[in-house]
Amino acid sequence: MSAQATIFPSEPKWELEGTSRIPFLTYTSEELYKRELEHFFYKGHWCYVGLEAEVPNPGDFKRTVVGERSVIMTRDADGQINVVENVCAHRGMRFCRERHGNKKGFTCPYHQWSYTLKGDLQGVPFRRGVKQADGSFQGGMPTDFKPAEHGLTKLKVATRGGVVFASFDHEVESLDDYLGPEIGQYFDRLFNGRKLTILGYNRQRIPGNWKLMQENIKDPYHPGLLHTWFVTFGLWRADNKSELVMDAKHRHAAMISTRGTGGEAGQVTSVSSFKQTMQLNDPSFLDIVQEPWWDGPTAVMTTIFPSVILQQQVNSVSTRHIQPNGHGSFDFVWTHFGFEDDSEEMTQRRLRQANLFGPAGFVSADDGEVIEFSQQAFESKPFHRALAELGGREVNEHTPHMVTETLIRGMYEYWRQVMEAPDVPAAAGAAARDCGHGTA
Amino acid sequence: MSQWIDAVAADEVPQDDVIGVQVQGLDIALYGVNGEIYATDNLCTHGHARLCDGFLEGHEIECPLHQGKIDVRNGQPTCQPITEPVRTYPVMIEGGRVFLQID
Repeated sequence: MSAQATIFPSEPKWELEGTSRIPFLTYTSEELYKRELEHFFYKGHWCYVGLEAEVPNPGDFKRTVVGERSVIMTRDADGQINVVENVCAHRGMRFCRERHGNKKGFTCPYHQWSYTLKGDLQGVPFRRGVKQADGSFQGGMPTDFKPAEHGLTKLKVATRGGVVFASFDHEVESLDDYLGPEIGQYFDRLFNGRKLTILGYNRQRIPGNWKLMQENIKDPYHPGLLHTWFVTFGLWRADNKSELVMDAKHRHAAMISTRGTGGEAGQVTSVSSFKQTMQLNDPSFLDIVQEPWWDGPTAVMTTIFPSVILQQQVNSVSTRHIQPNGHGSFDFVWTHFGFEDDSEEMTQRRLRQANLFGPAGFVSADDGEVIEFSQQAFESKPFHRALAELGGREVNEHTPHMVTETLIRGMYEYWRQVMEAPDVPAAAGAAARDCGHGTA
Repeated sequence: MSQWIDAVAADEVPQDDVIGVQVQGLDIALYGVNGEIYATDNLCTHGHARLCDGFLEGHEIECPLHQGKIDVRNGQPTCQPITEPVRTYPVMIEGGRVFLQID
């Protein structure tokens, strides 16, 4: 009798050549998930941490995560942005509890080890011991203890257009190279140097694998079918003028769409999600105003692998931060922003249109649910696989329409390259890639 | 008119070290540096530790709690995390006694 598991295999089995059939196991395996954290979130990649506008003044900080590791973005007295790990160098405590704030430095409550905003160790209580009546000191740290060697772990930081990325891996390529020119142009379209203003946040926990969110925004097939709201009110339809692009490594992508002028066109009324009887209680919700920086497209959804989605959907602009916490769950944090030169009217418009998004958004609530229900099925039969064969089985770097799953196939092509690469030889890689003691 | 208050015998202030004394209900730190005596508030303006429990190195006292430093001659911070100056008091030595001027 064979004891080999067939329902619950330990390694994913890819059918056919390429990545058009995605094993459910890639969403359900804790072991693969740990490998993803290591290779995508902690080594060789840039992760989103926030917007410079979230920490405008010296001393401002924001607590967030890179992968599952808690980090703090700070602005120091010199005005520089730093990202340090929220783990005390002494006993490892996650010392920072506030989400945002302003401080001169950080002090761990456990033994009051204190750090500068750059993450340097500043003070160790009773480092020299306790003073005796005769002026001598007893106890304390060894005399060869060097505070300079015991700062917080510092991440490498890069900013572009007011967006802050960080990496535990100080050998990572430059952020510009990481984004590449194809995606860089859409990045710069949204973040073109204007100062940003923070409008607010949505936060939700979605019980599904983190990659499903990346796939959701690399899937132009579903919006016109799943999202009743989009179809009914004409914001996104399969026949919109549109294109899909990806970077040379196929890990990042942009879905670019220009809304038709027809509104509720007859062509799509056969789609069952079109609800002719639905009306907006407040029509000002769709008071869309064309902005000069759009340069045409009314919606550009950019996926930056692995951690963030940059959104422009008409006048609503936001970043969506993917924060995995286990193979079957992630926190999804939306930062809605505007631009310093926005009129009050435009700010109100952006805020109104933000109701499309977030956990209770007219559109985005649907995505959270389908991801949850997909994950439930994956867990029950991880030997099975999903299909991503729309538009063919190969990866096309540029597609002038929306009826394809090429961006998903592209992402998994990259995923397989990294996840199936032979391990870096211990001697050559260990020192350079030791991401526990960043110093730079 | 401020007065000179008799604080302590001059030979009680150790050379190259610091002691804490009470003068008119105030906690004062007295430092002996190169034959001179300096006086500051005893409480660190940062973590509220007692500076007399700290480590004197030249003209600098290092707070025992977070290793911030001030110059004992003028109370000015010389090393973070101390950012606020510590109050100093004029010192006069007469007849083997240390006098402080306290307003």
